[in-house]
Amino acid sequence: MIQVSNLQKAYNGVTVLDIPELNIPKGESFGLVGNNGAGKTTFFRLILDLIEANAGEVLIEGKKVARSESWKPFTGSFLDEGFLIDFLTPGEYFKFVGKLYNKSDGDIALFLESMEEFFNGEINGSKKLIRDFSKGNQKKIGIAAALISEPQILILDEPFTALDPSSQIRLKRLLNDLQTNRNMTMLISSHDLNHVTEVCNRIVVLEKGLVVKDIATGEDTLKELETYFAV
Amino acid sequence: MLLFDLVKQEWLKSVRSSGFYKNLTVRIFLGVFALYMGGILLFMGYSLNKVLEEVPGGTPMELFNGAMLYLLLTGLALRFVMQQLNTVNLSSYQVLPVNRSVLIHFLLLKPLFSPANYLLLLVVVPFAVRSVAAYYSGGVALRFVVAFELMVWCNSLLASFLKRRFGSGFLSFILVLVAIAAVFVLEYLHLFSLFAVSKALFLFVVLHPAGLLVPVAAVVVAFLLNRWFFAQNFYPERFNSKLKTSHTATADLSFLNRFGIIGELISLQLKLILRHKRTRTLLFLSVLFLLYGLLFYTSNHYGDGMVFFCAMFVTGILMFLYGQWVISWDSSHFDGILTKNIPTRTYILANYYLLLAFNGICFILTTPYFLFGTKIIYMHLTAFLFNSGCNIVFFLFCATFNSKRIDLSQSSAMNYQGTTYKSFLIVLPIMFFPILWVNVLAWLTSLTVALWSLAIMGLAGLLFRKQLINLCIRQFNNRKYVIAQGFRERE
Repeated sequence: MIQVSNLQKAYNGVTVLDIPELNIPKGESFGLVGNNGAGKTTFFRLILDLIEANAGEVLIEGKKVARSESWKPFTGSFLDEGFLIDFLTPGEYFKFVGKLYNKSDGDIALFLESMEEFFNGEINGSKKLIRDFSKGNQKKIGIAAALISEPQILILDEPFTALDPSSQIRLKRLLNDLQTNRNMTMLISSHDLNHVTEVCNRIVVLEKGLVVKDIATGEDTLKELETYFAV
Repeated sequence: MLLFDLVKQEWLKSVRSSGFYKNLTVRIFLGVFALYMGGILLFMGYSLNKVLEEVPGGTPMELFNGAMLYLLLTGLALRFVMQQLNTVNLSSYQVLPVNRSVLIHFLLLKPLFSPANYLLLLVVVPFAVRSVAAYYSGGVALRFVVAFELMVWCNSLLASFLKRRFGSGFLSFILVLVAIAAVFVLEYLHLFSLFAVSKALFLFVVLHPAGLLVPVAAVVVAFLLNRWFFAQNFYPERFNSKLKTSHTATADLSFLNRFGIIGELISLQLKLILRHKRTRTLLFLSVLFLLYGLLFYTSNHYGDGMVFFCAMFVTGILMFLYGQWVISWDSSHFDGILTKNIPTRTYILANYYLLLAFNGICFILTTPYFLFGTKIIYMHLTAFLFNSGCNIVFFLFCATFNSKRIDLSQSSAMNYQGTTYKSFLIVLPIMFFPILWVNVLAWLTSLTVALWSLAIMGLAGLLFRKQLINLCIRQFNNRKYVIAQGFRERE
C-alpha cells in the first residue's frame, strides 16, 4: 500500500530522516515510536506531501505522492491543529469535510452518530466554535474528520496525548474495530508504548531519523521497547 | 513604583517580541509613511488658518471651537472601531502580590501614552500659533492647545469605557454612527445647532480664567466612569481581553452548495471573513473607501491618471483589501487544505471566483458614481475589466510569495501582523502602473486610447483566464512547500 524508498530529508544540511526502504502492506497497523526529534512527524508529513523530500520518494498504491493528488480521496489524516478549521463549529466542519469526499448529509449524520460514544456527548450539536474547545476535544474532532471519508489509509500523529483516560480507551477500541472490520491501513505515532503495542501489529522505532527497530508485535514487544527506551 | 515596573515590562514585551526584529523593513516603510503623514498634518495645521479665514461666521478660532464637538464625536466613533482595549497579561500578575487597583490604573492610563493621542497636536499647535496667538494672546493659544489635548484624553478614556461597557460589536458601532448622523441632520435642518453649543462652550473654556476646569472635569468624569465599571465587574476575567466566547455569525450561505466543492470553499472563506475581527474590519474599511470617489470626482484638480486610479480603487476595493492576503488567510488550517480531498485547481478557482464576485459587488455598489458623467462611466467600466482580468490573477500569482502566517485569532482592528515587505512590493505595481499608463498614453494619444488599451488587457485576461489560472496553479504547486512551512511558524 505504502512504499518508501531511499527517503531523505535534511534541514540546513542536517539529516533528520533517512529511510532506505520501508513497505507497509494493506491492512497493516503500523506504529511509530521514538523520542522527540526522532523524525516521526517529518515522516508523516513526507507521506502526506506537506514537505518536500531531499531524495527518494513515497508511493501510495504504486503512485508517487509528491505533487500528486491521486492519494487524497482515500487517505485520512490528522497530525496537529493545523488540520482543523477552527472558526467553524464541529457540525459545520464535519459537513465541509464530508462534502469534499462526496458524502451526503445522511451519510454524515450517520457517521457522527456512530462517533457519539467517542465524543462523549460533548461535540455533536455544539454551537461552540472549534477554537473554543479543549485540546482533547479538538483532537477528537480532528480524528473524526480524518475518518469521515471512510479512508483506506489513516495517519494519526500522537492521537492519545491530550485525551482523558476513558477517551484513550475508547480510541483504542475504535482503532481496533476499524482494523478488524474495515481492514484499514493505519500509521500511528505515539509516546505511549502501552497503547501503541495494543493497537499496532508492527512497531518501528526511529532514532535521529533512522529506523533502529522493526518488530512484529508479540508478547515481549512492550518489554523490548521499555528496555530500549530505559535510561 | 509598581506602576513603573509594569510600564517597563510592557515596553520590554514590545521590544523583545520577535516581530520587532523580523519586521524591520515593514517598520521602515511604516516609519516613512508616518513621517509623510506627520508632514501633511503639520501643513494642514499651518494652512488651516487661511482656509478658515475665508469662511464667514467668526474668527478661525471661533470656527474651530464650533467644530470641536463634532471632531470629538467623530474621534470617539473612530476610536470605537480602532482603539484597542488595553490588557496586560493579567494571569502572570494575578498570582503575584500585586494590588488590584495598581493593575486597574495601569490598564486605564496606558492608552494615554499612545502616540495616536498626540498626533493631532501636529495640526493644533501650528494652528494655535497662527490663528489663536495672532488674534488673541500667547496665553490663550496655550490654553487652547491644553484644552484640546485634555479633550482627546477624555475621548480616549470614554471610548474604552463605552467599548468595555457596550462591547465593540458591529451593532453598537452602527448605533454610534446613527447618533452622529442624527446630530448632523439636526444641524443641517437648523433644528438644533451643536455648532453653536460647541462654539460657546469652548470659547468659554479658552477665554475664561476658570474655563480650563471644564475639560479637566470631563477627563475626571471619564476616568471615574472607567473606575466605576471596574468596581462593578470585580473579577479580572471579566475585563481581561475579550470574553472567551466567540459569537457565531450564522449567515445562511446554503445557496452556495449548488456550486459543489468550489461553493463549499467560497462559503468557508465567507465564514472566515465574518468570524474574525480583522477581516470584518476590512469589510467595514471597504465601505468607507467606497466613498473615496466623492473626494476625487468632485474636484477638477486631479489628472486623468489619478482619477482612473481612484476608479480602480473604488471598483475593486474589496478585492484589493482581501486579495492582498489571499491564501495567507488560510494559514492556520493550510495543512488541512493540502491533505484533504481538495484539488489544487478547485482551491485556486474558488479564490478566483470569490475575488471576481467581490469585484462585481463593488462595481454594482459604485454605479451611483455614474452620475458624475460619462467619463466616470467609462473609467469605472475599464477599471472593472482591468481589475477582473488582470489584477485578480496578479494577486493569486503573487500570493504564493507571501509565506508569513497570519494569526487571525489575534483580533484587532489595526492589525498588520503577517505583513512583510513583499506585501508592499505586490501592491506597488498595482497602484502605480495604471496611473502611469493612463497618463503616458493620454499624453501621447488620448484618454480614450488609454482606457481602451486597459479594457482590452482586462478582456484578454478574462478570455485567457484558463491559461492564466493554470499558470497560478503551477506557481502554487511549486511554492506550496515553502508556503506551508512558513504558515506553520508561529510568531
